[in-house]
Amino acid sequence: GSVTESATGLPIPGVNIIIKGTTNGTTTDFDGNYTLNNVSNSDVLVFSFLGFTTKEIAYQGQNTLNIQMDESQAALEEVVLIGYGSTSKQDATGAVEKIDQEKFNQGAVISPEQLISGKSAGVRITAGSEPGGGSEIRIRGGSSLSANNSPLIVVDGIPLDQRGVQGVRSQLNAINPNEIEDFVILKDAAATSIYGSRASNGVILITTKKGNLGSDFAMTYDLKASVGEVAGKVDVLNAAEFRNIVENTPGTDPSLLGDADTDWQDKIYQTAVGAIHNITAQQGFENFTYRVNLNHTDQQGVLKTDLYERNALNLTLTQNLFDNNLKITLNSKGILDKNHYADQGAIGAAVAFDPTQNVYEPGSYFDGFFEFKTSPTQQQQQATRNPVALLLQRKNNSTSKRNISNINFDYRFSFLPELKFNLNAGIDYAELEGHETRPVTSAANNQDVDFENNYYGLNRNTLLDFFFNYKKDVEAINTNVDLTAGHSFQEYFISSNSNYTQSNELVFPFPVKDRNSLESYFARASFDIADKYLISASYRYDGSSRFNKDNRWSGFPSVSIGWKIMNESFMENSGVFSNLKLRAGYGVTGNQEIASNYGYLGVYSPSLNGANVQFGNNFIGTLRPEEFDENLKWEELQTYNAGLDFGFFQNRLTGSVDAYYRQTQDLLATVPVPAGANLSDLLTTNVGETVSRGIEVGLDAAIIEKEDFNWNVNYNITFQDLEVTKLSLGNDPNYFIPQGGISGGVGNNIQLWKKGFDPSTFFVYRQVYNEAGQPIEGAYVDVNGDNQITEADKQAYKKGTPDFYMGLTNTLNYKNLDLSFTFRGNFGNYVYNNTQSGNGFVGAGTVTPQDYYSNLNANVLETNFQENQLFSDYYVQRADFVRLDNVSIGYLIPGEKVDFRASLTGTNLFTITDYDGLDPEISSGIDNNFYPRIKNVVLGLNFAF
Amino acid sequence: CQDDLELSPEDSRQTSASVFDNPESYQLFLAKLYAGFSLSGQQGPAGQPDLAGLDEGFSSYMRLYFMMQELTTDEAVIGWNDGTIKDLHSQNWTSGNEFIRTIYSRIMYEVALTNEFLRQTEEAALDARGVDSELKATITEYRAEAKFLRALSYYHALDMFGNPPFVTEEDPIGAFLPEQIQRSDLFSYIESELLSIEGEIAAARSNQYGRADQAAVWMLLSKLYINAEVYTGTPRYSDVITYTSKVIDAGYTITPDYQKLFLADNDVNGAQDEVIFPITFDGLETQSYGGMTFIIHAAIGGTMVPEDFGVSSGWAGLRTTQQFVDNFPNPEDSEDSRALLHSDGQNKVINNISTFTDGYAVAKYKNVDVNGTAGKDPTGDFPDTDFPMFRLADAYLMYAEAVLRGGGGSTSQALTYVNELRERAYDGTSGNISSSALTLDFILKERARELYWEAHRRTDLIRFNQFTENGIWAFKGGVPQGSTTQSYRNIFPIPSSDLGVNTNLTQNTGY
Repeated sequence: GSVTESATGLPIPGVNIIIKGTTNGTTTDFDGNYTLNNVSNSDVLVFSFLGFTTKEIAYQGQNTLNIQMDESQAALEEVVLIGYGSTSKQDATGAVEKIDQEKFNQGAVISPEQLISGKSAGVRITAGSEPGGGSEIRIRGGSSLSANNSPLIVVDGIPLDQRGVQGVRSQLNAINPNEIEDFVILKDAAATSIYGSRASNGVILITTKKGNLGSDFAMTYDLKASVGEVAGKVDVLNAAEFRNIVENTPGTDPSLLGDADTDWQDKIYQTAVGAIHNITAQQGFENFTYRVNLNHTDQQGVLKTDLYERNALNLTLTQNLFDNNLKITLNSKGILDKNHYADQGAIGAAVAFDPTQNVYEPGSYFDGFFEFKTSPTQQQQQATRNPVALLLQRKNNSTSKRNISNINFDYRFSFLPELKFNLNAGIDYAELEGHETRPVTSAANNQDVDFENNYYGLNRNTLLDFFFNYKKDVEAINTNVDLTAGHSFQEYFISSNSNYTQSNELVFPFPVKDRNSLESYFARASFDIADKYLISASYRYDGSSRFNKDNRWSGFPSVSIGWKIMNESFMENSGVFSNLKLRAGYGVTGNQEIASNYGYLGVYSPSLNGANVQFGNNFIGTLRPEEFDENLKWEELQTYNAGLDFGFFQNRLTGSVDAYYRQTQDLLATVPVPAGANLSDLLTTNVGETVSRGIEVGLDAAIIEKEDFNWNVNYNITFQDLEVTKLSLGNDPNYFIPQGGISGGVGNNIQLWKKGFDPSTFFVYRQVYNEAGQPIEGAYVDVNGDNQITEADKQAYKKGTPDFYMGLTNTLNYKNLDLSFTFRGNFGNYVYNNTQSGNGFVGAGTVTPQDYYSNLNANVLETNFQENQLFSDYYVQRADFVRLDNVSIGYLIPGEKVDFRASLTGTNLFTITDYDGLDPEISSGIDNNFYPRIKNVVLGLNFAF
Repeated sequence: CQDDLELSPEDSRQTSASVFDNPESYQLFLAKLYAGFSLSGQQGPAGQPDLAGLDEGFSSYMRLYFMMQELTTDEAVIGWNDGTIKDLHSQNWTSGNEFIRTIYSRIMYEVALTNEFLRQTEEAALDARGVDSELKATITEYRAEAKFLRALSYYHALDMFGNPPFVTEEDPIGAFLPEQIQRSDLFSYIESELLSIEGEIAAARSNQYGRADQAAVWMLLSKLYINAEVYTGTPRYSDVITYTSKVIDAGYTITPDYQKLFLADNDVNGAQDEVIFPITFDGLETQSYGGMTFIIHAAIGGTMVPEDFGVSSGWAGLRTTQQFVDNFPNPEDSEDSRALLHSDGQNKVINNISTFTDGYAVAKYKNVDVNGTAGKDPTGDFPDTDFPMFRLADAYLMYAEAVLRGGGGSTSQALTYVNELRERAYDGTSGNISSSALTLDFILKERARELYWEAHRRTDLIRFNQFTENGIWAFKGGVPQGSTTQSYRNIFPIPSSDLGVNTNLTQNTGY
């Protein structure tokens, strides 16, 4: 007989067929045909194949038995990509999580990572606030100090540049969220080490949608229209309160105040309107499919003049040739990104600008804007600039043209159907052009000509990789064998160029070109013994152009095991368990993502304009030897992971628990270099170690499963901690490196790296309070008892990262009505409120270098501080929060020709927190001039023809 | 593909293997050694900084050197809230002070740069590149200048840190741990280096403007010897007489108008005949937020009009104490023309260091030329004014001091030199002193009057034992009326950041 796929009618080669209870069996050939002898009536034939639902057929004496198999819908058998191949959920031995469309966050999502925010244990996604802005993604918290802590993102097989692409707000915007089929998150080293040197921060595999073979023409139109506004404003003094303070401060000149009452934050923020249009057409023929998507996105920022626009074309073609032995897939994403960047300096200026002044001043030289000035045409250079003028007088437009394309050949050898060859060639090419101007009448422009800045960039990331895969069920030893081996080469090229006005002249700095490349060999072997015991091992051997010949190559091994306890005979009659699997793995991954491409090589840089030296009557350029570390090498991360996957009550309740321990060695950190030993004060080098630990729990429950009514709950919680365990060549236990620059004077840092502490730990004085609980100005605990308050009295205190965080999603369906909502929360995290500490004392507004005053944070009314107390722990504030990220309600109206779905989504509707500042979710832990997050409502309309 | 992993820069950057194929590179590299004192990086005014540990503008050598030598004394206070900046004046700095850390980094960076230059220009390296004999001769002069600049930086390290790490061209570049050198050994090293280049460097007044010559070497030797007792315990005053005499005899002249020394055109207005070694700045060509940009802008505030100083704005930071002001007779309108003070709208007494109007402002440096025309930078940000690191007046005063300290020389000659300065100050002989008035106490005060804000004060006060245990001025010790401090503060601490990474280092006593 033959075995075909029910959806497409295509033959399925390699299907296992066995007579139940015997060892008599066979597999289908490349045409899906099989022959099995010695079959008796009432024998039960078992047809099984990865990714398909296993079928059992009682034999009734037919000569030919043609079987159609269904692609598996059951979660456990679902195909999960794992990098250079795939497995199923039940056969995975690493910490791997797949998140598909059904679980995605709803709303006007521009940046794709927002689809999965709050959905996965161990993954923390901190959204930005700009229109089209990206998010900070941390898988298991990140492990490095100075190297990149962002995960490697692989789109349809192309690893993107972890450094991003120049001149765009988020490089992931190139991937239209509407076109994403699923995300697979590889968390532990057993899963990630196949990506070797770039895998220490986890890997996210993104697969985009394709057409289905043999499907009718289908077209959809989807619209998401949104309206949003700022979720909050910084609490500053109003005009009367401000006037009162200035008038009561000795030495001030209240005549400098105006008579207006301006809320400057109101003046710079707007209601942001946005729209996302998607038109998609797809069709599948016998051997050919296509899917075309057109996207137009327009999103205003809540900060006036901020605008993001995207026009994108996604095209996916698949072609099967040679009796389906060759599958060709072409993905191409063309993106035209346009930005108008608002001057974000307006955010800080609005918080600090004198509220007694008007926005406009009739007849003002500065295009009618009020500015502090020394003469009608000369601004006070040190004064705060009019925030509205900062926004409206500056133009900064950029256009980025980008194409991400790959072509994939997947060939099955007709003479050996177990063997496949896969070749993937890809390119990610982006071109940037931008223009910024500020007129001479802008007070922010100190020159006598219009300020002009023209910038250009190019990013090119090319990839060529191939691998062989051999999959066979070796009956003799009752083992499924899956072997993969391949080679990859990837090159990144970046160039940038600009010219701008400086001292009234247009200057042309040297263009910058940077190239780096990675070559890799990789292999993986997986064995499934008796459908009970899983063993998998992988090895990657990477060479990076960023290191010298001796350190260039390094191996990244991993080994992992799984025990499908559920398949043991003693579990057969378990009424409670429906799945139980234990996993354990160990692996090594690397990190090489540092700023410099030539950090191991002595390089000389010429000087640019304005950096010449007078020799006699001539000015001579200079030539600088750059710092370097000849012995620079990979940062190395060892991960131990143990996990348990379980299902209860026919998988009505499923989940996973993972625990990990990670140790980073040869940490790449930018640290003080022994003075005199190198050609700078700081050097990026391999120094130190960190240790991180964590527990991740993910649960899915189908609380109600009825024909008309379903209620699903997804919950995840993550506990994690990270500490520095070594930081220098020395062994001074008190050694630390200041981190975390704050505003309010130059060179002030509020955090530290120190052995035994989380890298986001604050470093502060302990504030002394009076009986009424008010902080006493300048009074700190004399920790070392030397009767004076010096730096020696500063202490490590709290940290910016959470101890644990969680996400909770409820999804309810009643007939054609659906409702879902997602809560997300962080706990144990603190924020240094720099908005209060920088502007919350009288001197901040009244002691000014020129004739103007600036507004104060309303916190000054509580503390009554006269001078800055920047290092007081009073400003390190608890920032636990729970946020209602997303609520969505939708209704589907099925029609004869058109299905119509309408939805209403609210995002970031409220946040429960004790934190006093604008927003408790600040990934750096330092709240300063924060672009407020948007709170918005989205109307969605979807037409499927 | 493996060859594709062997990559090197494709833009304007070059590797050390190829950069010297261009013979001009030697001069460009030498220029960098000079730029180490004036600029903060490879791009004016900022961008591509040399040092990354502090805001680029703050990391300029001249800015930090000025801060260390002036803010710690009676000559200057600053009103800003930058990090631990106020600890400098109140003399309660710790080893974590980022400004102390950064001048230390800056000094050792300059040493590392000069070491690299000397390594790249060794005979064998030049021969391997086939450098011809004409270029070789030029490079020999360059090497002497590089050694002078290294000696200058090591002199700063000797003066400020006593026992810094010690690296020469014999050491590699990497992440090794340099050894610490003791103060007296460093003194001997600097002395021998200077003596060794005395005959190789260009003759006095024969080199291009801005570059060091023999007189600069003699001047640095004089500075070394006059402070020898502080550095090594052994006085060397007769050597001061020897080398200041060489300087004085080299043909420099005292500029008739004191103010001219500190103007935008001080490279051409006659001041160049008095200045022995300047750190040059230029409003268009040599731009940074440190150096003279800082010294001029930061001193302007209150009722001072920035345009009068040839700049577009004041940063309202630097002023001086009443104790310094009182060195001048009738300071608000002094007969002594060196009292370039601004008292209008300023309180003489400092109640609050943060308030610009507390303490007289100093109007010494300006970015205008002798005609009052502003410097080249049309935006008024970056001055043309050069910083006079060594000038003849200092040589005169050192000569006089050495005479008084028993180094030989001629008392009458000393008096003549001192009165020459006073005649310029008083525009006539009305301020002249008699030989009986020529005392060490007078010398210290005269050095303040003549050389204030020229980055000599801290060193001078220590030599006269007036910096810590003695000497009181506003806010010294952190109290408004001022108090004495402990003598270990005569040198700065080795920064804790370097102690933490370099286990060969021992902290200076007291810290």
